[in-house]
Amino acid sequence: MDGFISTYLIPGLIMAGKSVLLLATLLTLIAYLLYADRKVWAAVQMRRGPNVVGPWGLLQSFADFLKFIFKEPIIPSAADKTVFLLAPLASTVLALAAWAVIPVNEGWAVADINVGVLYVFAISSLEVYGVIMGGWASNSKYPFLGALRSAAQMVSYEVSVGFVIITVLLVVGSLNFTDIVLAQTEGLGTMLIPGMPNSFLDWHWLVLFPMFVIFFISALAETNRPPFDLPEAESELVAGFMVEYASTPYLLFMLGEYVAITLMCALTTLLFLGGWLPPVDIAPFNWVPGVVWFVLKVCFVFFMFAMVKAIVPRYRYDQLMRLGWKVFLPLSLAAVAIVAFILQLTGWGGVPVAG
Amino acid sequence: MDALLQSYLAIIVFLAIALVIGLGLLVAPFIVAYKAPDVEKLSAYECGFNAFDDARMKFDVRFYLVAILFIIFDLEVAFLFPWAVAAKSLGWFGFWSMMIFLAVLTIGFVYEWKKGALEWD
Amino acid sequence: MTEMATLPSLAPLTVELLLAVGAMVLLMFGVFTGERSAPTITGIAVALLAVAVLMLAVMDNNGLTFDGAFIMDPFARFMKILTLIGSGVAIAMSVGYARAEKFERFEYPILIVLATLGMLMMISANDMISLYLGLELQSLALYVVAAIHRDSVRSTEAGLKYFVLGALASGILLYGISLVYGFTGQTGYDAIVAALAEGRSTGLVIGLVFVLAGLAFKISAVPFHMWTPDVYEGAPTPVTAFFAAAPKLAAMALIIRVVIGAFEPVTADWQQVIAFVAIASMVLGAFAAIGQTNIKRLMAYSSIGHMGFALVGLAAGSKVGIQGVMVYLVIYLAMTLGAFACILAMRRHDQMVEDIDALAGLSRTQPLVAFCLAAILFSLAGIPPLAGFFAKYYVFLAAIEKGLYVLAVIGVIASVVGAFYYLRIVKIMYFDEPDGEFDPMPMELSAVLGISGVFVIGFLVFAAPIIAAAGAAAASLF
Repeated sequence: MDGFISTYLIPGLIMAGKSVLLLATLLTLIAYLLYADRKVWAAVQMRRGPNVVGPWGLLQSFADFLKFIFKEPIIPSAADKTVFLLAPLASTVLALAAWAVIPVNEGWAVADINVGVLYVFAISSLEVYGVIMGGWASNSKYPFLGALRSAAQMVSYEVSVGFVIITVLLVVGSLNFTDIVLAQTEGLGTMLIPGMPNSFLDWHWLVLFPMFVIFFISALAETNRPPFDLPEAESELVAGFMVEYASTPYLLFMLGEYVAITLMCALTTLLFLGGWLPPVDIAPFNWVPGVVWFVLKVCFVFFMFAMVKAIVPRYRYDQLMRLGWKVFLPLSLAAVAIVAFILQLTGWGGVPVAG
Repeated sequence: MDALLQSYLAIIVFLAIALVIGLGLLVAPFIVAYKAPDVEKLSAYECGFNAFDDARMKFDVRFYLVAILFIIFDLEVAFLFPWAVAAKSLGWFGFWSMMIFLAVLTIGFVYEWKKGALEWD
Repeated sequence: MTEMATLPSLAPLTVELLLAVGAMVLLMFGVFTGERSAPTITGIAVALLAVAVLMLAVMDNNGLTFDGAFIMDPFARFMKILTLIGSGVAIAMSVGYARAEKFERFEYPILIVLATLGMLMMISANDMISLYLGLELQSLALYVVAAIHRDSVRSTEAGLKYFVLGALASGILLYGISLVYGFTGQTGYDAIVAALAEGRSTGLVIGLVFVLAGLAFKISAVPFHMWTPDVYEGAPTPVTAFFAAAPKLAAMALIIRVVIGAFEPVTADWQQVIAFVAIASMVLGAFAAIGQTNIKRLMAYSSIGHMGFALVGLAAGSKVGIQGVMVYLVIYLAMTLGAFACILAMRRHDQMVEDIDALAGLSRTQPLVAFCLAAILFSLAGIPPLAGFFAKYYVFLAAIEKGLYVLAVIGVIASVVGAFYYLRIVKIMYFDEPDGEFDPMPMELSAVLGISGVFVIGFLVFAAPIIAAAGAAAASLF
């Protein structure tokens, strides 16, 4: 019995504690990112944005949350009830599930598995299920068309995201997120400038700059963010696959979407922006704990997401598919070949630093 | 508990807690919210008139095409994952093997492009 | 990394590489030049297959490669040459039809080249994995080819039916392979033989039965024949001609290599299965064909029956038996291509005619064609001294040598019953009143029919080298 407690129960409780901590932080962060999203958008349009609930409107997201819970839940009579309710659940839970392997600092991950990237890639491929299930189960035309569009869009950009990730893997030589971040402690900066401490010049965004751009844009498209928010293009499809949803099922879709967006921000941070590494490895920057840098970087990427939403007009659907299949796919495919060739030729990279 | 189990069990635990949060949110309004359903409220949204027929209609075959292409390229990426990690130790032989594989796929890609499978208008 | 991967020897698969590269180059050429290049591509594809035959005939590239997964031996060489001839002739015969029916798609010859590549892989497969890869490459290309006439409901239906049933058969085959792997721990044929030397388990026998069931589908042997008549009837006629020839040969070669190469220690087990399938195919092929009025359906049942006869030789499991099967396949190929050359020429006012009664009085309108077709039909029925007789003679001889008297007797009875419907066609051609003339026969079809007719009638002249080559090829398996 003692053996059971010490080998299973206590580690289990620790895992549960870590999970709850991460989820609570994540959801709170998302509440404020939502608020920031609206504020940025408002600022660009010279409006004030939410400013009523709490000081400067800081509690707006929580008020919205409570409002959703007290709204009447509607299940259309023609809908397939089980799938209709399962869809938002799948959407949120799958989006959250990917966070299990994201390290926010060295050793700070719920599960630092050695195939972390593969896991995230697999889970993010599954996210399209929530959309398809929701659109199909609603049994209504707008959701159906919206779901088809959305699914086609998500899978189209999934492919180029995959190729971009491959280029990073080629450089790093490991599927583990911690290894990927640690691989960015040495790079272009330390190689070209003698005596240079680890800095933002070493991160992958510089050596793989085209990949970084493709990844960022594909991330926008994969999470249905503007300018690629075709599935919910309100001028033609009302609200896409979410038309028939109300109350918390709707909230869960929105939540899933924002969790997926934050996940993409975190992935960008880990793969290209050095994860928790400080911008320059000298005092006072390296006194700040890594997790702070990580959160700051995630927020920075999210800020770029929000700015894109505010200033770029929406794509047309055929333009969207053309960009995905005819521009990004060939480019990223070629990049895989080029990066692999250069690495073979020069002998750079490909061996994880922390083995 | 060995390391492998430790890391994967953590994912299960995390998933379970996420599921609890999701389920809790999903069930909450059914318990606390005011409910007054009527026929109009529960009918499918259709811009002001009643739906003519079932919403699960025929749709453009290109969506199938995209799905099939996705499967092909996603599988390709899945093959690339282990190769990318081991690329260094595989050397030039591994590099050229994969390049031949990619070339064959690229030929298929060029074919579908020229055939107009990627046109949306 | 302890062992660096190195390039395996590519010499044994020179021909496969040629076909693979050729097909891809042709595909790119076709897609950039558009549909008008279809005749050119057809020509190049036939040339490609002809070059492949020549290379196989003159090259000496026997050997094992890819860790024993791919084997090139005299047996493979013999069967590959046959398959390539079948595919090449099938493409050549499609030219006139494609022009007349306006379905000149450049994908058609390319898909056939790819299917042929799959068949060559199947013939050379010496491992369950390479077996499956080859089989799928072949099958996927064939599914598309069956439905190539996209605007025709029957063609699309044939393609879909073929695809669904084929996928099921592949599933069964894979299930069998996984059982065999599970009970022996091996996928390579040689390794399976070694593992079986320690004795066999019931699970392995179940796996063996599943493997044979999956493969029986591919040669359309009873009880997995249901797709054949529908697909043969629905697919465009040149496609049917192709289906009846090359894929059957390759699948038969595959079965031979699997049972002899991998399951030799459990011969008693597979012998029962093969014998049953052979009997069922022969009997069904003979009886079900009697009532047919559509000549393509009739050819479907005829091919089912012929596969049954060929399996008789395999059931014997001896070197003489395999030699008999190979001679049978040579003759079957010649007869089938000749018969389909005639069927493809059955056109009136630019329309295909598929009714058997349309052949009425052919002896008066086109006497030479009627004579050749009659010879082929007599040969299909197995009447001496035509080629078909010797085909059956060799497989029955092998069966009797091994004491399989029941099998031989049933075979002879089925052969007699089958003769009835072949002779009925001859009767229609020679003794019924003609009700109209066919359009003149295109040159390439006359050539195929002529060669086939000469081969069938004068088989005794060619017999010695073919039988000797088959014997040498069969010997390489044991």
